[in-house]
Amino acid sequence: MNLRYCMVFLAVALLALLPAAACAETLEDGEFLVTIVRSPEQAQAERPPCFPDPADLYIQLPETENIALGKPIEASLHNDVYVSRNLNDGKVETYWESKGFPAEMTVDLEGTHTVSAVAFCLNPSAIWEPRTQEIAVLASLDGEHYTEVVPAAVYGFDAQFGNRIRIDFSPAEAAYVRVVITSNSAYPAHSGGAQVAEICIFE
Amino acid sequence: MRRFRFLLPVLAAVLFAAGISAAVSEAAQRKNLLTIYEGPKTMESSRTASVSVNGYELFVYDVMVNHEHIWNANTQPSRTPMAYFDFRGEVAVEIRMPGLEREVESAEVLPGSAGIVPEVQDGAVRFSLSEPGQYTVVFNGNVNKALHLFANPPEENVPDRDDPGVYYIGPGEWTMDAIVLKDNETLYLSGGAVLHSIVSVANAKNVRICGRGMIDGSDYPAWNQPGSYARVPINLDHSREVTVEGIIVANSNCWNVNSYSCRDVAMNNVKVISGRQNGDGFTFQSCVNHTVTDCFARTWDDSLVIKNYSGSSRGITFRNCQIWTDLAQSMEIGYETDKGLTLDPEISEVLFENITVLYNFHKPVISIHNSDDAFVHGITYRNILVENAFMQGDNGNNKELIEMTLQNSSWSTVRDEFGSIDDVLIDGLTVLRTADGKIPRSRFAGQDAEHRITNVTLRNVTILGTAITSPEEMKISANEYCGGITVR
Repeated sequence: MNLRYCMVFLAVALLALLPAAACAETLEDGEFLVTIVRSPEQAQAERPPCFPDPADLYIQLPETENIALGKPIEASLHNDVYVSRNLNDGKVETYWESKGFPAEMTVDLEGTHTVSAVAFCLNPSAIWEPRTQEIAVLASLDGEHYTEVVPAAVYGFDAQFGNRIRIDFSPAEAAYVRVVITSNSAYPAHSGGAQVAEICIFE
Repeated sequence: MRRFRFLLPVLAAVLFAAGISAAVSEAAQRKNLLTIYEGPKTMESSRTASVSVNGYELFVYDVMVNHEHIWNANTQPSRTPMAYFDFRGEVAVEIRMPGLEREVESAEVLPGSAGIVPEVQDGAVRFSLSEPGQYTVVFNGNVNKALHLFANPPEENVPDRDDPGVYYIGPGEWTMDAIVLKDNETLYLSGGAVLHSIVSVANAKNVRICGRGMIDGSDYPAWNQPGSYARVPINLDHSREVTVEGIIVANSNCWNVNSYSCRDVAMNNVKVISGRQNGDGFTFQSCVNHTVTDCFARTWDDSLVIKNYSGSSRGITFRNCQIWTDLAQSMEIGYETDKGLTLDPEISEVLFENITVLYNFHKPVISIHNSDDAFVHGITYRNILVENAFMQGDNGNNKELIEMTLQNSSWSTVRDEFGSIDDVLIDGLTVLRTADGKIPRSRFAGQDAEHRITNVTLRNVTILGTAITSPEEMKISANEYCGGITVR
């Protein structure tokens, strides 16, 4: 058996024994077989690994500041109480629902920024069944002339992944960001409207 | 063939590992066994007690208990040491108590029926164990800082951690808000694990909770304190075919092991220690076919409890259990016997068998408080050993050894109707010590001519070494709405 075979042998043998060796040490002590069950290194109490945190599956948002938060925002007509100020109040429990399509929202960034990502969030509760919405993103420096930075495309929202989507694009100068939503698969039988709990914009 | 030669060392290695596993397995079958569990790295072993088994140091937990033997909504628990291990064979235990105010000069190992006489020398307590069980060591004749030592048998049927229906929690300190188990799921809590959480089984079947680890409720204030709420560590609700085995439940902020409207439940070698408000041990409401064996409960409220919350209770057995009741009753049926206002509520086919009461400090040891309108019948207590019946009562009341009543109480839901109690057998009741060295009283009180306590038989009763053969010797008081109470 050459050296390579020896190494493979040892590696596989160790792997096969790993589950027991990882936390338990067994030794002979006179008439006794003694097992010492070891505890892992921990600095604090942790979530049991067999119960993964649902948030670990969430689509991650950029760690930079959300420059849409609390900024002036205008949107298409809304249904019922689901008003446009819910769009950037920092709460995923409140949402905006448009009255029909196309639905638009425009965020005034109160100055020119180089934006490179937008995110749309819904309430992450599983009672919000999976859905798709067709979304396009436009940017403007003067609030009158808009350029498409993300063409219309269909995006899936799923509570399993935090009920959020993230759209990255080539950096673009923008003082205003407009979003146009043209479909929502979850609401065809009702009034027919877009739904967004939060719009987030990142440099 | 040549291109598969690389598989040869892989195959050889697997066979090698399998060989070792087989050897270990064989050794496990033929050898004396000792399993020691490290405590979480995030926690410190007790400074009150150090315990070693065959020279191996155990991790000692300080768990909440309560020496206040009267209800106090704002009571403050104290702590006592607790340790555990698994073994087969005969092992040598050594205990030192640096946390006591004075050196250990004497020690007693409970239950006394185990016949273990420890050696005390230079502050060290030494004894041998050859039978798995739950042992309590009292030092210098004072229950303060008594050590609870759970000497488990080797684990069997450890679930496969790779089984998708198994949640396997290894050693270490873990926390999460709540664990909800569904049909056909198993939660395994390894020895050495401390889990800050609650486990809920609701509307589920074929569920198993097992292991040697501890569910610890110390991260929440007592349930009745401002901003807190009840977090029941093991909560079974409208479920069936549930087993709970081997684990420890400590520091709960309310009840401990609860079952509500469940059927076909088995609990074995479950250890409960509580010191906070309403810390009932094993408490079952409107349940059918429950068996509790080889379990331990030291509680600051009723230890073993049967009530009716929504329908009748039937077929409940507690067997080979040890209890230490710092507050309330040791074996309580009631007070609530029809909280759900159901038709014809009953509590029947109940058996307490081979129960050892280490200490009973507050209210009656055996009690049926039919405080609503249920028909309570077919209740058997067999081989009940009370090592210390120290009922201090409440300002002179509730000091009885046995109490059975058909009376309203603050827990009554039905106040204008009453039930009855019939066919109760106490066969084998031994009391070794009482607080004042006298035979304690027992009380039976029916409600009226239609609502009576009947056919209660006591036999093989020995109190303070005296065989009791008459109601007078037993110091029984019974009102005119009782009949057929016999002692022989």
